[in-house]
Amino acid sequence: MTFSILLKRLGYGVLLMLGVVVLNFLLIRLAPGDPAMVIAGEMGGATEEMLSSIRAEYGLDQPVLTQLWIYISNVATGDLGQSYFFNQSVTSLIAQRIGPTILLVLVAQLLSILLGVFMGVIAARRPNGPISAFVSVFATVGYAVPVFWTGIMLIIFFASVFPIFPVEGMASIRMRNAAWYMQWLDIAHHLVLPAVTLAIIYLAQYARLSRASMMEVLGSDYIRTARAKGAGERAVLFRHALRNAALPILTVAGLQFGNLISGALLVETVFNWPGMGRLAFDSILRRDYPTIMGVLFFASMMVVVANILTDLSYRLADPRLRGKG
Amino acid sequence: MTALLEIEDLRVTFNTRHGQVTALDSVSLHVNEGETLGVVGESGCGKSITALSVMGLIPSPPGRIAGGEIRLDGENLVGASDKRLRRLRGAEAAMIFQEPMTSLNPVFTVGEQIAEAIMLHQKVSHDRAFRDAIELLDRVGIPSPESRARDYPHQLSGGMRQRVMIAMAVSCRPRVLIADEPTTALDVTVQAQIFDLLNEIQRDFGAAIVLITHDMGAISEMADRVAVMYAGRVIEEASADNVLDHPLHPYARGLIDCIPALGREETDLKEIPGVVPPLHLLGEGCAFADRCAHCEPRCLREKPRLVTHGNHPAAHPAACHGVEEGRI
Amino acid sequence: MTGTTAQKAPEARSPAREAWRMYRRNLPAVAGAIILLAIIGATLYGTFFYGGDPFEIVWAPHEAPGATPEFPLGTDYLGRDIVAGLLTGGGPTLAVGAAAALITMIIGVSLGALAGYYGGWLDNLLMRFTEFFQVLPALLFAMVLITLFSPSLWTIAIAIGVVSWPQTARLTRAEFLKIKELEYVTAARAIGAKNGRIIWKVILPNAAPPLIVSATLTIGVAILFEAGLSFLGLGDPNQMSWGLMIGANREYILDAWWPVTFPGLAIFLTVFAVSLVGDGLNDAFNPKLRER
Repeated sequence: MTFSILLKRLGYGVLLMLGVVVLNFLLIRLAPGDPAMVIAGEMGGATEEMLSSIRAEYGLDQPVLTQLWIYISNVATGDLGQSYFFNQSVTSLIAQRIGPTILLVLVAQLLSILLGVFMGVIAARRPNGPISAFVSVFATVGYAVPVFWTGIMLIIFFASVFPIFPVEGMASIRMRNAAWYMQWLDIAHHLVLPAVTLAIIYLAQYARLSRASMMEVLGSDYIRTARAKGAGERAVLFRHALRNAALPILTVAGLQFGNLISGALLVETVFNWPGMGRLAFDSILRRDYPTIMGVLFFASMMVVVANILTDLSYRLADPRLRGKG
Repeated sequence: MTALLEIEDLRVTFNTRHGQVTALDSVSLHVNEGETLGVVGESGCGKSITALSVMGLIPSPPGRIAGGEIRLDGENLVGASDKRLRRLRGAEAAMIFQEPMTSLNPVFTVGEQIAEAIMLHQKVSHDRAFRDAIELLDRVGIPSPESRARDYPHQLSGGMRQRVMIAMAVSCRPRVLIADEPTTALDVTVQAQIFDLLNEIQRDFGAAIVLITHDMGAISEMADRVAVMYAGRVIEEASADNVLDHPLHPYARGLIDCIPALGREETDLKEIPGVVPPLHLLGEGCAFADRCAHCEPRCLREKPRLVTHGNHPAAHPAACHGVEEGRI
Repeated sequence: MTGTTAQKAPEARSPAREAWRMYRRNLPAVAGAIILLAIIGATLYGTFFYGGDPFEIVWAPHEAPGATPEFPLGTDYLGRDIVAGLLTGGGPTLAVGAAAALITMIIGVSLGALAGYYGGWLDNLLMRFTEFFQVLPALLFAMVLITLFSPSLWTIAIAIGVVSWPQTARLTRAEFLKIKELEYVTAARAIGAKNGRIIWKVILPNAAPPLIVSATLTIGVAILFEAGLSFLGLGDPNQMSWGLMIGANREYILDAWWPVTFPGLAIFLTVFAVSLVGDGLNDAFNPKLRER
């Protein structure tokens, strides 16, 4: 039952990814200029020899549909082309960078959901209280602050005023030969500021959302039942109410994932975090299209996977949805 | 003998955008052990507020118990600590709600929800509580309770859910069971089954039941005594037979005329004209005056008190000037 | 035709007046509107009073704010006047924000209206299309578009619009699904109104309140988008903009905090004001919610 739903979701995910591949192909074709030049990158140094090898590899002298077919079958075998700037295959470039991005995005997502939901729950208990007011103001402010600017402000503060966190990169060079757990601690230490920067915007949104959601749930009949049983305030809030209020939060968390990756792109650039965002930035500056398209492909794949996971966790959280297509 | 549950001069107010309104005005009621008290009236007359007050579940703000006492076995619950109230809720006094469709938490299995009620008041393991829950489901007449206990509320029918609610309510053998319109949302055939179940439960567990309803039919089937409420006050009180056979207050008479009799078409039913007035518009006089066929100038000026008038064998307390003056 | 006036569509004008009355009484919303008007005024007419070319090197680099009365907010790493940058840099940001929001609304409302009104296979197709666009990380996709089609204010606005419409489409669809079942729509259909007329003249005006709120918030998001793109150096290189100011001075933040702080504050204040206006409109259109 659940297994067939998973298969269905996976199938749809593959279809969406196929769409991304076709889009990538179309974008290269629609871009002004010779596709071979576009792929080689406008570094000015593309030799005729290089261009003809690109034309051969991508089948650019063949009909458009054949080209599309070649492109799709290349991607299907994990070949996203060659980065002429980095002089590496795009797949291996991304393989080096995808880990740090996943780490950053997941930690930020977790941080913002946990803290945001906690704030929202506390605020919902007293809809007119000071915490509620704080959550509303914080949510509006958090929404309006450009994420890259928050990062810069944190760098200024933690570099010059209160230097307890590293403001750049993912690992210290002096830790290169340290024990593995020291290296992990070092990465965690470096992760603090980028993750907090990225989490702040979404934290505010989750706080506002869970406040609204909790307020609605707290007015429902089954909460009254729980109280009538003699359940204490904490059990009512965190056991009975939150499980129900979490459903819209999960939905938003899924939808938010794409935005989170966009945010990560800026945050990685600000903090020199060696992830895909940083790679995207570098390859865009160099007009390294195969790499850019590869990043777009893998970033979309992360969103698709996140959506599938959200969908599954949604079914897990809400028994009414289990077994429904 | 002191009653098990006594409500005396209870006054509950709510802050609304029309200012402060009095939802309950000097309400006094009592129930004895093993007895069923029917509290009857149209919606909005204060029945449910009375029930929630006993449970200490008046939403506050905007609600507030402004005066009076609620005594359970002699202990005053008004002003008792939250902790004390929590210990009483579910254990000494339990409640069954009107909406079985929405009163169960959709994300937990019904067995889990009953087990929780048990574990909140008894030091037992989760396994033990869950086994007790299955037993209780069996007791309230749910077939194959073993597997039903692992079902979620949405997998059960309305009648089944109400049985679950009853199982949950009696799980700790409460001494007072408040049933707030327990059958309103259910089919007629299921209604009868639920009433039978409540009667059985009362025989087995010896609980006092407060049955809140707008349905005089349910009263005639269940109640030993009846209190009729209107606009936040008790306006008539007596044994069930007495009220059903000799209603005094014009409002009580109206309610009884609404009981459908066998062979009578629904459309022939009488209706009391008008609706319960909004609480913020209550004036000086009798709250029922503007719907009453026997209204006199005095009724608009002066609030009638709940006292027995005359010495007829069936005489019982009723708050009506007309009854006092022998007009009605 | 006059026989069916009992089920006429609700008048669109009087609710608007009612909303305006509600809005006026909402202090944060009025404050937001005033701040926003002040910012727009400053970017439109500021240079007229203050003068100064934001690209021109006028003083020593990294002059601190207040140190020279001539340059109240100091100079950047090249010695360019920050006040001049702020006054001219707001224009592109606001213009791109507004244009991108407009494009977002046009795409989103059209697709959402079609999906919601016609339903069936068209709805299915359009919603799959929308889901596909929601899979693409918006900023990254916008960056790709801008890089492929060379940055100018128009490509940036179009790119932001192309990546932002899905949410508007979903909202519009939901509104249309709700409204098309109402009596006055059935009545309009009963008197023989054509589909196009029902969509434009009957449903859309009644779906307007949530769409106006969403459009306002979209402007805020678009401004943040433009700022992010300019910060990354993907803005129009010939236009000073707040994001560009932050991006250009990024390497020197540990030497001088002011060249990045003030443009960031300007972006924040603008988006903050926009969202106050949006929240205010939302409350004004839902008076029932406020009364509780």
